[in-house]
Amino acid sequence: MNIKGEVVAMLGFAGAALTLGLGMMWAPSVSINAFQAPEAQRIFYWHVPSAWAAMIAFGMLFVGSIYWFFKRSEWAWRLHVASSEAGLATGLMCITSGCIWGAAEWGVPWDWTDVRLNTFALLTLLSLYLVLGRKSQPDGVETRDTFAAFGMYGFVLVPVTYIATRLWQIRHPGPVVATSEGSLNSEMGLVLFIGAISFTVLTVGYIMAGMRLTKLEMRLEDLQRQYEERLR
Amino acid sequence: MGIIDLSEISVLRGRNKVLDKWSLSVDSGEVVCLYGENGCGKSTVIEAAAGLIPLENGSSTISGQLIRDSDGRRGRTDFGLCLQDDCVMGDELVDERILDAAGYDFDITPLLKIWNLDHRIHDRVAMLSGGQRRRVALLSGLIPAMISSEPVAILLDEADSGLDDESVDRLAKTLRNLAAGGHSILVASHDSRIVAAADRVIRFPFEEENNEAKTGKFVPLSRGEKRTPYIGHRMNLRTLSGLANNGIAGLLTLGAMLALLDPSQLEGRTLTGFILAPALTAGLCGNPVHRLAMENRAYAWWNTKSSLPPHAIIHSLIICGGLTALASSITTEVDWQLIVAGALLGAITESIVGLLSNATLRLSRPNAVMIRLLTPILILPWALIVDTLTA
Repeated sequence: MNIKGEVVAMLGFAGAALTLGLGMMWAPSVSINAFQAPEAQRIFYWHVPSAWAAMIAFGMLFVGSIYWFFKRSEWAWRLHVASSEAGLATGLMCITSGCIWGAAEWGVPWDWTDVRLNTFALLTLLSLYLVLGRKSQPDGVETRDTFAAFGMYGFVLVPVTYIATRLWQIRHPGPVVATSEGSLNSEMGLVLFIGAISFTVLTVGYIMAGMRLTKLEMRLEDLQRQYEERLR
Repeated sequence: MGIIDLSEISVLRGRNKVLDKWSLSVDSGEVVCLYGENGCGKSTVIEAAAGLIPLENGSSTISGQLIRDSDGRRGRTDFGLCLQDDCVMGDELVDERILDAAGYDFDITPLLKIWNLDHRIHDRVAMLSGGQRRRVALLSGLIPAMISSEPVAILLDEADSGLDDESVDRLAKTLRNLAAGGHSILVASHDSRIVAAADRVIRFPFEEENNEAKTGKFVPLSRGEKRTPYIGHRMNLRTLSGLANNGIAGLLTLGAMLALLDPSQLEGRTLTGFILAPALTAGLCGNPVHRLAMENRAYAWWNTKSSLPPHAIIHSLIICGGLTALASSITTEVDWQLIVAGALLGAITESIVGLLSNATLRLSRPNAVMIRLLTPILILPWALIVDTLTA
């Protein structure tokens, strides 16, 4: 069965909308003692799944980059292209929601000394760089090698981002799921789980659709070249 | 095995395979000419031999030293190189460029006299005519062989383009003389005189023919002490590029902050951040020599000489330390700990920005790639240093 990425992405999008609805309307509010802005905390149901989805996209970006670099596989290059776009989209969702939440909870939207915030922002900037930079260059092995190298080296930030709140907890909260200090309340956990699944489906669908689109673009480019050769 | 050895090399340019498992060996005392229409792959062969482009397959070796292979291994050895671009920074002087290429000090005047450049010996290359610049670039490529009694490889890519008739004749004669000294020369050319001077001609796509045997006479130029170029520091001192780009940006930051803030009211983190901010700004402007090396693809030529790109790190330390001292003296008493931190912060930031810029040099449009998008992360170390020093 040939499942279209667009269909998968739409399913994921519907799940993300459901998560937002449940998070805003159904999930219980948090204690005013633990949070300065308990109502703003509800953005967490969007913020955490989008961060999770961004990490999946950055992981796919690494796989595509490394496989292109060493195997010169067209499939891997398409994965690199699509996952850098997905990483940018989900990364921006996470940063935007984080800034809104931070402004309400901490009084400032950003903290330049917080390692987690900065390494995650750099990953998103890397995706932005890959997306914009690639559009500025003619396609070819030099372009692909250079951007694949950035995709490979940039991945080192993923584990750093993951452990940042464990090693240097400055402002960003530490982990809330599956920790020794207890887990979330069951309704909260359920909404978060639906969110994680939905955002994963959305990202996978986006990457599938992006890969197909890149393949069509490359085919169109080949046809244009063949047409020009025939005109000579 | 020849002095220049390309073994089963495959090279991709854009989406085309220009060379596919192609081999070439140039022996000691041999001149091989690559001949063919534009875009047939002559420059690709020269650049692959010099290690300037990645290989999909095979390896390039010069004088027994691996220069580059398809696994990404790199090596360097002494050889002469003249590319299609002049690869000379406009602010290099004629004599110092050729001496840098030679790697030794020696009396250069007689050589420049032969090539009608002696009256320009101390001039900046930017002040020369196109033909004169080309002669400087050509001599930079030939000089490693001219001073050596051991066989040296010479790679010349359309070195005759832009030269007058007299200079092309002189080049053809020089190639024969160098070959007589045992040097190996690989030259790409359209000029019939250069083609005639070769022992072997490779007509792209890859028909080989041998020319008649020719003679020449080689006497190496006597050379003096070994020379260390320090090209980045020299260029930076001559052009004051570091001061003009990085220093001014730091001063502007300090000025802008002074326009808005009263330094006597600052304390703690804010005060430390205020003092270190000019050094950070100066560092974020990047390696000032990098901009100079972008001229005429000079970075590519220097890349074959050294794995480190031209830099002026000592000057960066001085500029960033000076900016921090100035900011410190305006606000409090001069704090040596902060000055050292500012100097290191600025120089390291500058080096990181330089490394990021160097990573994109292989692209066809490196200036269009917006590498500065990645620099905001450099605020993090600055903020952490501010926190640490304040605590």
